[in-house]
Amino acid sequence: MDQEYASMPVITLHEERFSKFVGRKVTLTEMTKWIPWLGFDIEEEGEDYLKVEFNPNRIDFCSYVGVTRAFKGLRGWETGLPDYKAKDSNITLKITEAVAEVRPIMLAAVVRNMELDEGDVADLMEMQEDLHWGIGRDRKKASIGVHNLDVVRPPFTFTAVSPNSVKFVPLDKNEEMSLQEILQKHEKGVAYKHLIDQSPNYPVLIDRNEHVLSMPPIINGELTKIKEKTTNLFLDVTGTDYEAVEKSLNVLCTSLADMGGEIEKVRVEYPDQSRFSPDLSPEKMDLKTTFANSSLGLHLSTVEIIECLERSRLGARRTKKGVIEVAIPAYRIDILHEIDLVEEVAIGYGYYKLKPTFPSSVTIGEQHPTLKIANLTRQIAIGLGFTEMMNFTLTNESIQYEKMRRKEEKDIKLANPVSAEYTIMRQDLLPGLIKNLAANRHESFPQKLFEVSDVVKLNDKNETLCERRLHIAAVSSHPKANFTEIKSIAEALIANIMVGEWKIKETEHPSFLKGRVASIRTKNREIGIVGEIHPEVLNNFGLENPTVAFEINLETLIG
Amino acid sequence: MVELREQDHKTLQALSQLDGKGTIEKIVKASSLAHAAVMRAALKLSNEKLVQLQERTRTIVTLNEEGRTYAEKGLPERRLIRSLFNLGGTAKIKEVANNAKLKKSLEPIALGWLRRKNWAILSGKEKILRASEEPKEGTDEKVIGLLAKKNTIVTQELDNEMRKALKVLRRRKLVNIKDENIRTMELTVAGRKLIKRGIKIVEEVSQLTPELIITGKWRDTKLRKFNVSAEGPQTYPGKIHPLQQIIERTREIFLQMGFTEIRGPLVETAFWNFDALFQPQDHPAREMQDTFYLSNPKAGRLPKNTIVDVVARAHEDGWTTGSKGWGYKWSHSEAKRLLLRTHTTAETIKYLSKHKKVPIKVFSVDKVYRNEQLTYKNTAEFYQIEGIVVDKGVTFRDLMGTLKAFYSRFGLEKVQFWPCYFPYTEPSAQAMVYVPKLKHWMELCGMGIFRPEVLAPMGIKYPVLAWGGGLERIAMLELGLKDIRQLYDNRLGWIRSTPLCQ
Repeated sequence: MDQEYASMPVITLHEERFSKFVGRKVTLTEMTKWIPWLGFDIEEEGEDYLKVEFNPNRIDFCSYVGVTRAFKGLRGWETGLPDYKAKDSNITLKITEAVAEVRPIMLAAVVRNMELDEGDVADLMEMQEDLHWGIGRDRKKASIGVHNLDVVRPPFTFTAVSPNSVKFVPLDKNEEMSLQEILQKHEKGVAYKHLIDQSPNYPVLIDRNEHVLSMPPIINGELTKIKEKTTNLFLDVTGTDYEAVEKSLNVLCTSLADMGGEIEKVRVEYPDQSRFSPDLSPEKMDLKTTFANSSLGLHLSTVEIIECLERSRLGARRTKKGVIEVAIPAYRIDILHEIDLVEEVAIGYGYYKLKPTFPSSVTIGEQHPTLKIANLTRQIAIGLGFTEMMNFTLTNESIQYEKMRRKEEKDIKLANPVSAEYTIMRQDLLPGLIKNLAANRHESFPQKLFEVSDVVKLNDKNETLCERRLHIAAVSSHPKANFTEIKSIAEALIANIMVGEWKIKETEHPSFLKGRVASIRTKNREIGIVGEIHPEVLNNFGLENPTVAFEINLETLIG
Repeated sequence: MVELREQDHKTLQALSQLDGKGTIEKIVKASSLAHAAVMRAALKLSNEKLVQLQERTRTIVTLNEEGRTYAEKGLPERRLIRSLFNLGGTAKIKEVANNAKLKKSLEPIALGWLRRKNWAILSGKEKILRASEEPKEGTDEKVIGLLAKKNTIVTQELDNEMRKALKVLRRRKLVNIKDENIRTMELTVAGRKLIKRGIKIVEEVSQLTPELIITGKWRDTKLRKFNVSAEGPQTYPGKIHPLQQIIERTREIFLQMGFTEIRGPLVETAFWNFDALFQPQDHPAREMQDTFYLSNPKAGRLPKNTIVDVVARAHEDGWTTGSKGWGYKWSHSEAKRLLLRTHTTAETIKYLSKHKKVPIKVFSVDKVYRNEQLTYKNTAEFYQIEGIVVDKGVTFRDLMGTLKAFYSRFGLEKVQFWPCYFPYTEPSAQAMVYVPKLKHWMELCGMGIFRPEVLAPMGIKYPVLAWGGGLERIAMLELGLKDIRQLYDNRLGWIRSTPLCQ
């Protein structure tokens, strides 16, 4: 199961504005109490506000109206499907053939009679950002433009032109720039040029007089900038994925409708077809009551389930015995399957009302055999007086090879390491233990450390071309540490884990002193190494005491 | 009644042999005790007023090298005067010196002392020495002689005249002088009475030996009483790491609840880590800033059966599940990318693709990775707890109950379930737990029922209840840590001093 990722969208809800959209006074305490039951995480509680995180599947929570809509449903103050009407605006948007290869899709809408205040404008910006990220995948699949309709003249045309043929003043700038210059110099141009610069022509949205509204998906023009008191809006969404474009537009339109705007349709003419946009009609999906009840462990009647769905702001009606037809508002992007409606039932019912039960499945538990061995080995190592270390499996070349006097091997490397400390997967446990000794120089001696854990080796036989392997390594560091001591410890350990014979054979290893290092073998197979650590390695790690060590592949020991 | 130890008895006995008085050294010899033992006895016996301790200082004098030479050959002035008489009592100083075979450097010294001791008269331009009779041995010479004979003498044993002479020798730097403390013990009346009553010595030992045990001698032996509250040397046992201890506790709870442990590779294909779990290929979690991908080896292999095709269909159009799917073109090469698994659920789904006989209850407490900077609250690798229940008719409420039972074993009794979202579960929730130690609610784990789009391609027919969360936050709670890095910095001081039963 997952933990949350770093990039969750956030919205800050002020008590007063929240109350305004709910249509009644809601205190911060009430907000704090109820909001988590909609799926929000409270990040921060201020004096008169809450900062909350929401999941990207509910991108419609990116505005006050989006949250309050759901809040009213949960509290039972306003339930069922929100109804969004859109009449025809008689405005046409033409999509030319030229734009097909660079930004093929555009949908649009008109919103009239808005009374935008400062908060609304800020909301609108926030919504655009969240939609760009949440649905648009950073503008790749969809990006939004919001324009002041009153300063331009329809019909509009979305086309692609050569980079130097058109100039306009980009948003928040004073001078005209060509499309080429915008990509080269404007901060948004630099950030998003990868979305269009493979194409010889760049997309622009223009009006009847060839005034530029925007250069999707890069930047809008200063001309159509939204201000307080802007009343009539033209919305455009362009992209590469029809569904993403449509959903973005729907979330935006429904939010603006809930903020007091009147939505109007635009006739969008593609070279081969035309359609009216936006389409805010709800989608329909059937829910079987038995499916809902058996998934949740409830015994709700059809009426009760309908009530729950309505609290989740869905439309619901019984069509035949045991089947409910659910109407899904246009702003919901997350309903893929009947099971998603089951969760809506649960949220409408209230997660807080679901009483935990215990399944009656009878099973007998068992440890994983490898970890059973790991634990037995741990016991013996502890019995031998060694203390356990737990190091990261990620390490770097300097510790793994250079400081250990070893040649770099072909190993498992990260493509995107987050720091120079952690660039490869460890091949052995020993370098980590030596590093532990270095970190504990000031502690009393003798120091006897061990680790029973994983190393990762290349192995073509596996699907992943890698193999996870359980090792044990141990070090003993004190003024009188020597080969005889560590050999007897290693052998004591092996003798107490494994049934069978092993041999100690002279060998050489760059991390160990020549003549004081041996390979441990079973049936002509090397399973480990034991010896005195080379003084140069000790110097490399700043260690002062003689140090002896062994490392054994436990998987070969247990066969 | 005073309880005396063997060493005290032996000391008293030795004192009585020495007629009631003796130095420590003498008592050591007489008693065959160690010096330290006699000193301990001295302290004890004087505390009991059985002996009186005296301490005085002796000044010990020995000849140094120059002094020893003079002891042999005579002081330079003596050698000069002897030569003068050899030459008849009057002679030029040069001749006298030659006759005496004095080193050149000693001549002025010899002459100086000759005159100071008034042994001869020096006169005239010719520097003629004259003496009437050979002077007697001086006290300084007597002292040198005595020192030569006895090696050492004690100043306090000399008469006044000799002490004065010694001072001169000291000034002439012919002797070494050293102060020494002498401790003497003398029996008091009480001590004598005690001895008169008779001392029976019971052998007392500090170490019980195999010999004492075998021979039965321990019966006649007194084991020395130890000062049991005295500080001894620190001992550090071999020990399990505190984090591993928490892992073991967690595993134990799962095993007690009838769960079977599974274990899978740390390096996974994107297919098992994401695609098999219906995580769309453009999902933000799959991006480089959240997940570690490998540059070597870069891509792995996909399973050879039809699972891959139906997983692809589930993503594209929902396959036969009744789902809309994600509506995009699924890519094989994206699925082959190798990564460090971001959750143990990668292994869970692989296991469930092969094991179909219900009930299935499996778990893992194992390592996962996230592309994170090391900070006080994040590490790039950490342990994830995951539990799975698959059975006919199990429900979302059953999941809540299982999870509650599980975490109650950690003393976390108050649990709330908030709606949440994961791409592969529905319904989903996150478990919030009230932590009495911290007095606030904490996010504990994610949970949910696997989606039909996940189950169908794997051929799983029954609901799969799943929950998972970080182990470290529980470990930090249990161990009272505020910085996650402390779990992995392997400080011996911390490991040695952290009790395992908390």
